[in-house]
Amino acid sequence: MFRSFARLSSIDALTATGSWNSVRHTSPGIASRSFHTSPATFRVQAGKYKPTQYKTKALTYEQANYPHTIGIRKSWNAWNTSNLLESNTRDQAYEQTIWDTFIRKFIYGTWHNMFVSEIIIKRRHNMIHVAGVVQQTVPVRKMYFLIGYTEEFLGYLLKSPVKMEIQSVPDKKDMIFTYI
Amino acid sequence: MALAARLSLFSGTATSTTRQTDWIRLFASVPSNLRDEAITEATEFRTLSLNPARKERRKFEERSNRTPDLLPPRSQKMHVDQDWTNVWPTATSFKPSVVPLPVRMGFAYKGANPDKYGNAELMKIPNFLHLTPAAIKKHCAALKKFCTPWPEEIADDAACDRYFPAQVITSTYCHSGTSIRNSKYRIVSYKVPLSRLNLDSHARDKFLRLLGDRYDRHTDQITIITDRCPTRKQNYEYAKYLLTALFHESKKTEPWEHEKAVADFERFKWEGSPSEAAATNTVKEILTSSTASNEPTSEDISPEEVKQFEEVQEYQRAVSDMLNAGEHQDSVERYKDAVKTMLRLGRFS
Repeated sequence: MFRSFARLSSIDALTATGSWNSVRHTSPGIASRSFHTSPATFRVQAGKYKPTQYKTKALTYEQANYPHTIGIRKSWNAWNTSNLLESNTRDQAYEQTIWDTFIRKFIYGTWHNMFVSEIIIKRRHNMIHVAGVVQQTVPVRKMYFLIGYTEEFLGYLLKSPVKMEIQSVPDKKDMIFTYI
Repeated sequence: MALAARLSLFSGTATSTTRQTDWIRLFASVPSNLRDEAITEATEFRTLSLNPARKERRKFEERSNRTPDLLPPRSQKMHVDQDWTNVWPTATSFKPSVVPLPVRMGFAYKGANPDKYGNAELMKIPNFLHLTPAAIKKHCAALKKFCTPWPEEIADDAACDRYFPAQVITSTYCHSGTSIRNSKYRIVSYKVPLSRLNLDSHARDKFLRLLGDRYDRHTDQITIITDRCPTRKQNYEYAKYLLTALFHESKKTEPWEHEKAVADFERFKWEGSPSEAAATNTVKEILTSSTASNEPTSEDISPEEVKQFEEVQEYQRAVSDMLNAGEHQDSVERYKDAVKTMLRLGRFS
């Protein structure tokens, strides 16, 4: 309907159109004043994995469940009170999210190729608990060093005590939940 | 030989000087007899064999993840009568090697739910393994030495209200964040029943006017909320100051307060009202006109006695109710009945 409007009168189309589709204008004077719109794709892809032909792609439990099942089949990876009503950290929600990203990046770099689950960040009072599953690729002694190193550095950077609560699995294949 | 001499020269200078020629390396192009000689002369140099002998070549070994020797999970060695509070003393994420329970968590279309090993879902959720009944018993036992027995005089809530009429309400907040402070912790609510202040009618009236909407007449509670000071203690003291100031202010009588006329009353007051005088006079008139010769005359009946008649009392209540609570069907009906009763002649003898 809007397209036919556009053919009839560009001015009418400009005023009448509410559509996502772009409006083609015939008059050069009007065209220079118009704004460009493009159709929305509505393609939601985050957290969804493409299946392979012979079902060879291995997924963990976290990956195998869609994002919309958070709170139903799987729970959140960040636990804090910034979303609660009347919370004093309500205005710090953005800050905590940014720091969570920083913690994740720090750990991905420090514990390189060792975390086989998502990094879980739980904030209780002023403490930050970082949890997750690692694979046993380094000796226990080094693992303890990494725990202390991460706790110290993150503690200095975040200005609050940080504790790592990790469990280890012998191989990352132990984390495979399904193949798609 | 010339090369060997040069090498020995180099090595000699290297050892005698401050090892500035440490970058010199012997190459495999040097004949083997010379090489050995050179190595014996300069042992700190290592050789880089770019083309080693076939025997010396090692097969390329693929790097493998060697699993370290780990102890079996703790949970397999636990005694059934162990003290669990020592195993799990504080709040922490789930550890499958420590919990000797076949816990499972997760959803699976086919087969069993994921077990506890390598289960990140179990690590996400808060657990209460540190709050077992045994742990709570231990907590209570540890706290008991700081407790005193409950006073016997305060057996119930009524006794508590009698002995401790004032109520101070504050809130403590627990949240996750870098700061443990909460700006709302400073707010203090001070509650006290008005009847416990022992005010006379004038002071009470003034007190209520000063309080405004801080008085709840259904519960008879005064509520003073203070939040303007930065700390809780200051707000508490400010609330106490406010209550004290209000109390003493309401006890004062200003010179202009005597100018209050009947029209200024906020409620209808029967005593001294024109209605009272009219009713008393009317009743006395009725009595005078209807008195028989053998009965006591109206002169013997004082206005005070007239006011004590049941009919006059009912009329007083009806008028006060209608003027104070407002005119509605019931009050008007009551007023009508009271007037009819009062004016019925011959009932006052």
